[in-house]
Amino acid sequence: MHEISNQLHFAEHSLQEVALIFMAIVYTLRVVWLVRFKAGKERQPATGLAGTTPRKGILYSWANIAMPWAMESTRKNFFIYVQFAIFHIGVVSAITLSFFIPYAPNLMANPVLITVFQISIGGAFIVGVMRIIRRSTVKVMRHISTPDDYFSLLLLTVWFGFAFFAVPNQPQNGETALVVYFWLTAFFLVYVPFSKISHYLYYPFTRYYFGKSMGYRGVYPMVRKG
Amino acid sequence: MSRVRSQKAELVIERLGKKLNRQIVGSLVACVHCGMCTDACHYVLANPDDPSYAPAAKADKLRKLFKRHYDWTGRVIPWWVGAKSIFTDEELEDLKDTVFGKCTNCRRCSINCPMGVDFATYNRMTRGLLVSVGIMPEGVAVVSKDQWEIGNQMGVLTEDYLDTLEWMGEEMQEELDDETAIIPIDKEDADIVYTINPREVKYDPRTISDAGKIFHVAGANWTMPSEGWDMTNFGLFSGDDALGGSVAARVYDKLQEIRGKKLVISECGHGYRSTRCEGPNWAGMDIGFEMESSVITMLNFIKEGKIQVDKTRNTTPVTFHDSCNNARSCGLFEEPRELLKLVVTDFTEMYPNRAENYCCTGGGGAMSMSEYTPQRLKSGIVKANQLKDTGAKIVVTSCHNCVDGLNDVIKHYKLGMEVTQLVNLVANALVIPEKKVVPVVEVAEAVVEEAIAEEAVEAEEIKKELVLTGRKILIVDDEPDIRTFFGAVLEDNGAIILEAGDGDQAIEIANSEKPDLITLDLSMPGKDGGKVFEALRSNPETERLKICIITGRPELRKLIYDQELSKPEGYLDKPVDEDTLVLNVRKILELS
Repeated sequence: MHEISNQLHFAEHSLQEVALIFMAIVYTLRVVWLVRFKAGKERQPATGLAGTTPRKGILYSWANIAMPWAMESTRKNFFIYVQFAIFHIGVVSAITLSFFIPYAPNLMANPVLITVFQISIGGAFIVGVMRIIRRSTVKVMRHISTPDDYFSLLLLTVWFGFAFFAVPNQPQNGETALVVYFWLTAFFLVYVPFSKISHYLYYPFTRYYFGKSMGYRGVYPMVRKG
Repeated sequence: MSRVRSQKAELVIERLGKKLNRQIVGSLVACVHCGMCTDACHYVLANPDDPSYAPAAKADKLRKLFKRHYDWTGRVIPWWVGAKSIFTDEELEDLKDTVFGKCTNCRRCSINCPMGVDFATYNRMTRGLLVSVGIMPEGVAVVSKDQWEIGNQMGVLTEDYLDTLEWMGEEMQEELDDETAIIPIDKEDADIVYTINPREVKYDPRTISDAGKIFHVAGANWTMPSEGWDMTNFGLFSGDDALGGSVAARVYDKLQEIRGKKLVISECGHGYRSTRCEGPNWAGMDIGFEMESSVITMLNFIKEGKIQVDKTRNTTPVTFHDSCNNARSCGLFEEPRELLKLVVTDFTEMYPNRAENYCCTGGGGAMSMSEYTPQRLKSGIVKANQLKDTGAKIVVTSCHNCVDGLNDVIKHYKLGMEVTQLVNLVANALVIPEKKVVPVVEVAEAVVEEAIAEEAVEAEEIKKELVLTGRKILIVDDEPDIRTFFGAVLEDNGAIILEAGDGDQAIEIANSEKPDLITLDLSMPGKDGGKVFEALRSNPETERLKICIITGRPELRKLIYDQELSKPEGYLDKPVDEDTLVLNVRKILELS
């Protein structure tokens, strides 16, 4: 195994660990903040067809994101849905990479794994560029976007770019991509709780409550006929 | 220097904090501005170049406020996350125009949001915040006031309600030729307590007698309450939970007072949602009795063999429009279809349908907000295309708001369709059990009795036909064909007809003749119906004359209802058929 510089070692280990701890603390505070708001309850007897229950509604709601046929918005905008899938697979890959390189470097010697990582992260990078173009050129997207929306997207896209080059984990050929990738990862971990990227923290909550209500009212699982 | 905030803005911010619950907060923080909800909204589809209609854009108007005052990033670096406070009453007015004028709370964007953001729910909450500081469309204020003070949203007085029930009871008896066919009021221990929409009393009493006929033929032990009979609830539209709870409690309390077993809610989307689903939450009451839509009641009557129907009586091609409140918020979409297929021969599905159906444009109380009528009708193009594509001649819906909303769309886009409700179709298909066969020995006597009865019926019919005898009616319309038609119909019923082809002539005749009733068209060259109405109501000589607006352009209603004058005694949308015209004229003139 090639010796790495102190700078890269710091970026891969201490920096990441501190950033992770910070993120965990802030996330915990955020969840505590959210659950301190009282949850609304439904007193009325359930409505809808037999077989629609809150439990089914919750499961359906959580699984909704993996069922592009379930919502008209994803059926009609299937290409955007595909982009969503590629982008988020890229996010998972790039996060996994930040653990594999420092803690299981041997895995990154596997050429198949390297290819898988580079395809998923490279695909996410391309989608990131497409999303930046969409957000800055489509009228309605511009209208609803905040600086945080642009910055978060840009941050992730740049991060994917460096992650792509960091995947082979070959510091002997130059550490720049790795160092930037790990610094960006750390920044990402610290910044996320304050940005829109934290949406994945809320997803289980919003989907849980919406699904529970819709299940109780007989709307979820959705029926499409005719 | 910090900006001074108006008292109303201060209150809105303070009350926002009190209204937040976990579901709302989740929805406020989870939006990622992905734009996937955009195409789900009929306003967006009708206004593709105006991004302010996008659900996320509308939602951001409240989200900005929430972030600025209740979320951490927005407090520290507001500009970064688009957080912004509100300071002036003008800004609140602008927020009002968004939450009341650009959204019908139909919830279509909510079910199309990948994150599960329930925009419609917090749009309603925003309405409630504005209403709490007195900022709302005039129509919302008027209707809410009526529902608070008079107990129903159309300000129908108890005596008028009871008179209408009596009148409809008589119609039932006549139609069924059965003296026992009555509408029982406040009957104790009834199995069914039937509650209705005041629109039925005011504009569509036929639905009451149709429902009564069905209950009677089914042999149901039923009643209608003398109070707490309005199952609609403007609290749903205004976002005022206190009003919502109070109205719902009136209905529940009355049922408990007369020891009813089941509350049956007539066909009304927002009424069903408010009474069946939201009312117990607003009122903080746990309900110990059953509640169901009359659609389910009628369906069960057929399934249980309590009534027979003959679907060949309804052969015109029909389609079905799902009310947003029924389908998307209460899961009521299969039962109406099941019932419909039992009572019509030619049903075509509309696309999209069920929980994915588009709003009729009249949801969220939009019908009472005349200032937003132009944009509402523009957004109706989506519904109009949906309707046209079905090729049906009749649209069936289980919602009174949808009836009005759809009628507006049909007229505006000249679709030439009719709107009806399931209760009307079921009543039309209802097979009335034949009376017992008279034994042979009693034939002669029976024949004599029958002849006497027939004579009595004929006499009654003649009397009924001339029910308008001596009544002077002024018909104001610029179209000669309409004047001729209305004149002929009313004259056949005994009325003395006066005609005016323009506004000036109408005022002149009204002043000189003091007719018992004026039917007034709104769209006329020169002095329009609004100006005529204003002139008549402002003149002490004519202010008490009864006026029935009859218009083919419902968007002009604001000419009348925006004025601070006493409202007209009646309102009808053109085209008007003979029966409807006579029924309404009789009702306005209080002639049973």
